[in-house]
Amino acid sequence: MSSEIAFPSPQHRRHGSSAGQPLTRRDGVLKVTGRATYAADNHPEGMLYAVTAVSSIARGRVTALDVEAAKAHPGVVEVLTPANRPPLSHDPDDKIPPFGFRVEVLQDDTVRYVNQPIALVIAETLEAATEGAALLNPQYEVESARTGLENGERFDTPAVGVGAPSRTAYGDIDAGLAAAVRVTEADYVTPPQYHNAMEPHAVVAQWDGDRVTLDMPNQALALSCAAYAAYFGIPAGNVLIRSPFLGGGFGSKAILNGPQILAILAARMLDRPVKLALTRAQMYGPVGHRGQTWQKLRLGTDGEGRLTALHHHVLAATSSFDEFMEPAANASLPLYASPAILAEHDGLRLDTGTPGPMRAPGEASGSAVLEVAMDEAAIACGMDPLEFRLANYAETEPGTGKPFSSKSLRECYAEGAKRFGWSGRPLEPRRMRDENGFLVGWGMGTAVFHCPHFPAEARATLRADGTALVETAGADMGQGAWTALAQIAAEALGLDPDQVELHSGISSLPDGGIAGGSGHTASAGLALHNAGVDAIARLAELATADPASPLFGAGNIGVEARSGRLHRRDDEGRSESYSEILARAGQAEVVGTAKAARDPAVAEAHALFSHGAVFAEVKVDPDLGQVRVTRLVGAFAAGRIINPRLVRSQYFGGMIWGISFALQEEAVTDRRTGRIMNADLAEYHVPVNADVPSLDAILIPEDDPYVNPLGVKGVGEIGITGTVGAIANAVWHATGVRVRHFPIRLEDLLVNQRDVTSAFGN
Amino acid sequence: MTKTRNEIRFLLNGEDVALSQVAPDETLLDYLRLRRSLRGSKEGCAEGDCGACTVLVGRLTDGKLVYESVNACIRFVGSLDGCHVVTIEHLRGEAGKLHPVQQAMVDFHGSQCGFCTPGFVMSLYGLWMKEPKPADAAIEKALQGNLCRCTGYEAIMRAARAISSYGKVAKDPLAVERAAVTEKLTVLRDGSRVEIGAEKHRLIVPADVDDFASILESEQKPTIVAGSTDVGLWVTKHMRDISPVVFIGHLDGLRTISEKDGLVSIGAGVTYTEAFETLSKRIPALGPLIDRIGGEQVRNMGTIGGNIANGSPIGDTPPPFIALGATLTLRKGKARRTIPLEEFFIAYGKQDRQPGEFVEAVHVPVPAKDSYFAAYKITKRRDEDITAALGAFLLTLARDGTVASIRIAYGGMAATPKRARAVEAALTGKPWTEAAVEAAMTKYAEDFTPLTDMRATAEYRMLAARNLLMRFFAESQGGKAPIQVSRHRVA
Ligand SMILES: Cc1cc2nc3c(=O)[nH]c(=O)nc-3n(C[C@@H](O)[C@@H](O)[C@H](O)COP(=O)(O)OP(=O)(O)OC[C@H]3O[C@@H](n4cnc5c(N)ncnc54)[C@H](O)[C@@H]3O)c2cc1C
Ligand code: FES
Ligand code: FES
Repeated sequence: MSSEIAFPSPQHRRHGSSAGQPLTRRDGVLKVTGRATYAADNHPEGMLYAVTAVSSIARGRVTALDVEAAKAHPGVVEVLTPANRPPLSHDPDDKIPPFGFRVEVLQDDTVRYVNQPIALVIAETLEAATEGAALLNPQYEVESARTGLENGERFDTPAVGVGAPSRTAYGDIDAGLAAAVRVTEADYVTPPQYHNAMEPHAVVAQWDGDRVTLDMPNQALALSCAAYAAYFGIPAGNVLIRSPFLGGGFGSKAILNGPQILAILAARMLDRPVKLALTRAQMYGPVGHRGQTWQKLRLGTDGEGRLTALHHHVLAATSSFDEFMEPAANASLPLYASPAILAEHDGLRLDTGTPGPMRAPGEASGSAVLEVAMDEAAIACGMDPLEFRLANYAETEPGTGKPFSSKSLRECYAEGAKRFGWSGRPLEPRRMRDENGFLVGWGMGTAVFHCPHFPAEARATLRADGTALVETAGADMGQGAWTALAQIAAEALGLDPDQVELHSGISSLPDGGIAGGSGHTASAGLALHNAGVDAIARLAELATADPASPLFGAGNIGVEARSGRLHRRDDEGRSESYSEILARAGQAEVVGTAKAARDPAVAEAHALFSHGAVFAEVKVDPDLGQVRVTRLVGAFAAGRIINPRLVRSQYFGGMIWGISFALQEEAVTDRRTGRIMNADLAEYHVPVNADVPSLDAILIPEDDPYVNPLGVKGVGEIGITGTVGAIANAVWHATGVRVRHFPIRLEDLLVNQRDVTSAFGN
Repeated sequence: MTKTRNEIRFLLNGEDVALSQVAPDETLLDYLRLRRSLRGSKEGCAEGDCGACTVLVGRLTDGKLVYESVNACIRFVGSLDGCHVVTIEHLRGEAGKLHPVQQAMVDFHGSQCGFCTPGFVMSLYGLWMKEPKPADAAIEKALQGNLCRCTGYEAIMRAARAISSYGKVAKDPLAVERAAVTEKLTVLRDGSRVEIGAEKHRLIVPADVDDFASILESEQKPTIVAGSTDVGLWVTKHMRDISPVVFIGHLDGLRTISEKDGLVSIGAGVTYTEAFETLSKRIPALGPLIDRIGGEQVRNMGTIGGNIANGSPIGDTPPPFIALGATLTLRKGKARRTIPLEEFFIAYGKQDRQPGEFVEAVHVPVPAKDSYFAAYKITKRRDEDITAALGAFLLTLARDGTVASIRIAYGGMAATPKRARAVEAALTGKPWTEAAVEAAMTKYAEDFTPLTDMRATAEYRMLAARNLLMRFFAESQGGKAPIQVSRHRVA
């Protein structure tokens, strides 16, 4: 199997020799030739196809399914329904910690959202399975769907996101508001959004006794193995997940979902390999989304434009049967200095699939609104938006007073503003036009993202030929982990990246942690680094204890690994190659292992965040309301940069997601039926090439001695934050119309701007 | 007597294929991935939206072999008779190296997760063969139909600009083998009708237009398939039964573009891409409009005849053609009738087409030198987006500056493409002034009661429709007002 996930990649071009260099991707060749295998590309011998039949109602019961008709269709092998679904060893309504969700696996006949699986049809061909599913002709007992503020069920929640507190208060918010010269208050709405990774969720499941092999895109290998093991009543070690390539994940492939579990169950029941791939439409339901939010911001400011109070109140939607609420208000906690900050959330139950983490969960929707509110407050104070943010710059973490492990936001503001040409921006809206008469506007926003660290393990093997094999069960969903991780390992091993073979993407390797939360490079990277250091230490032991080695006796002084050789620290001239040391010791290899986790003391003592500033220019057609982002400049500081090329493309990706959030993405629900009316890629808009303006991402150098020994922060998600607000603010600056409802639509700028119903009264 | 065959014959990469078992609705993508284990082409949507499934199809046009990118997910296998299908697996460079397109994509970091990459590579391959050194606008046009959710667009653009520094088109295998493939395809076109399947699973590939006409008269409720960019979705999205299917995209007799007495006649089988050159030259305002229909793959497959026959209220070609005064020729057996295009659209989902009848050609008058024509498509997304509203205007002024005639047609404003007759009447004979235009703008309510849907609200549609008239006026006065904010200067 290892051949599938190793990247010797003879074609790749070198631009440098170690971490910090813009190496091209190791997996590029496989991807451009179509030889990279994604889950649905696997076709084991004897494989069956599974297709889910999904509900077309949002709430109620399935009263009848024409199983006979489906079964009678030529090629159909089995139809799973609540009546015959084999048992699971773990109750699907009981969540498996730490990140488990309730899953819909035909436990009963209730329907809780549109596109929920209500049966699984397994057949010899895809065509037969699809046809069989269509023949089921479900009958329902329909209950009215709860689809919005007016009929959703509100509830208090102790937690939001993944276990974050739902309410955090610093200082006295009422006193802060009372002390304010001005209070800027407004309500905002963000829509439901769907990850829409280009690769639909798929799995190919093969059982061998009580062992199962799963080809599936997966962002959290070890956690998933443990969860599948629980559902199927087998040891975690009996689950092998192969996920060499993910066609995008953005959070949706970190979490188990009903259709995949059902397919695995069917494979066991029928004792044949089974493949299931969701259709694009079926991805709008059981595989997570970014839940809708209603948000209220109250910003108190004093006579100098300094915040006296920052109150961020969020009503976050979740499903009727599980909880994942966008921790949006928490975006207001780490950014601006204010004597009083209150971030609080309530929940709203709707008849939808359960939301889940989607690229910058909470930060994206919270930052979008916070940055617009900051703009509104700046205007109210008669201040330039950048000047206003600088007036509220947090030198230490607001509320806790903890020092930042590093914070270069000032540099981000300065560099970004300079590159963009921010100075000279008129304060008033509707003051700039281009040569075609389009309205031009400039806006900005601050970007911020926390730095999680997941426990991870790794192994590094130095081989007799002087090369190394490094292993960790990580996931590369496009961020370039294969390349960056190899660079980190190479540095620890004193080798050139070309001499380091990386194995990853398969669960039998040491646990690489989760590819999410922008924490993968730091987490898996540190484990690899430590494993490399361990391997070098073992090699050094061999050498320094060997009288025949030029390094003999250097034990206390120490040696240094460089270019495939160990050097005596006090005498450069005395060195020996790894091959020589191993050869003389008669060993084929030396193996280093490591576990790595964050030092709790560091996290306790510091606030750990990446920062950035985003500047946007938009043009608006005054007659038609069409908005185009024409320029976007982001400046980001995220600790040490392992591979600038990869990092820049992550920033670009994030910023384009920001464009999408501000102007395009929105799942439109039919209020009556709860159906999503644009469950496809034609009407659920994500940016096309032409929507993307000239982008600029500035990498602000930042040295962080605390965040982790590598000094690496995360870069995958921060690009969305700041960008959404920057664009919305630029639209205001162009038109004078303040849209508080994302995405900003054509009609908002021309006619009937949609009202934002307050979720909180006044 | 037409000869009949019972198999589809085409070339797949380097291989001759003859298929006697083909479902009428079997897509090329399923054929490649399920039957042939060629899984480099990906499925991201199965609706023509994402481009992950892009392959090239080469076919003979006037004896010349032309390769074009298409969406394999909505292309039916039955339509491939006499074609050369080229997939990502077929790309190779010189002496065992990567193909120039692929090497450029590697070096410029053109893939992140990589799922969209084979599709982008194929789109760029198609472009590069036609334009080895493309301008940015050409690259963008070629990539309109490819989505990247990781959004590596910038890197892909850079790769696209650099392709030719990695190799020459002349050395590309498809160029080297061009003569041999042309000969093979010529032989495959043996003038036979192809019939495959029985009962509810039948497909027919007519031998020629006359054969097509006679098939239509004898078949019960056949589905005509030209480019399948509408019908493909009936199958993949709506799971409709379409048998018996009659494929017509290959019929040379419907693929003609001719010009006579100021009338451009476009055969029903002419694709957007094929019509582009003539239409954009003769009626320049149509160029940018055609460029914004679907993506390149859709334009390479989709026909103008299909766009009209489909009868959608948001099809992009009927409004401008109606404004221009186009006529439509329908044929049944040997009988033909020609009607004003606007009369073809009777009501939502209902067109003036009798059983056994088909659309043969549309005839578009080239506007007179002294008249002024423009068409504006309003969408939410810059490219690859369905129209929210589309307005088209043809104005002829009398010598005294009054409106001699004006024809105005809209899409997206009613259940069919429709003329704004009250507005026209309000303007006709009046001086062409801002005041007259403003007065006429109040008449829209007599012509239209648009709907609210996902793309736009009724109010927005109404206001935008009116504003388009004012924009048209401004443009006719020499004001320049491009309808799209573009990264590139509008030429
Ligand atoms: C991703 C995507 C984007 C698109 N974007 C746009 C867009 O921006 N603007 C737009 O207008 N359209 C758009 N379309 C739809 C457009 O491609 C079609 O309307 C196309 O023009 C139809 O032509 P076709 O040859 O593909 O027709 P087909 O799908 O083959 O047929 C369409 C209909 O016409 C009938 N038909 C075809 N030829 C004849 C004939 N000669 N006589 C009688 N009936 C006939 C068929 O039976 C069928 O009912 C898009 C489609 C896709 C998939
Ligand atoms: S699979 Fe998306 S266009 Fe074909
Ligand atoms: S690289 Fe992931 S979709 Fe394009």
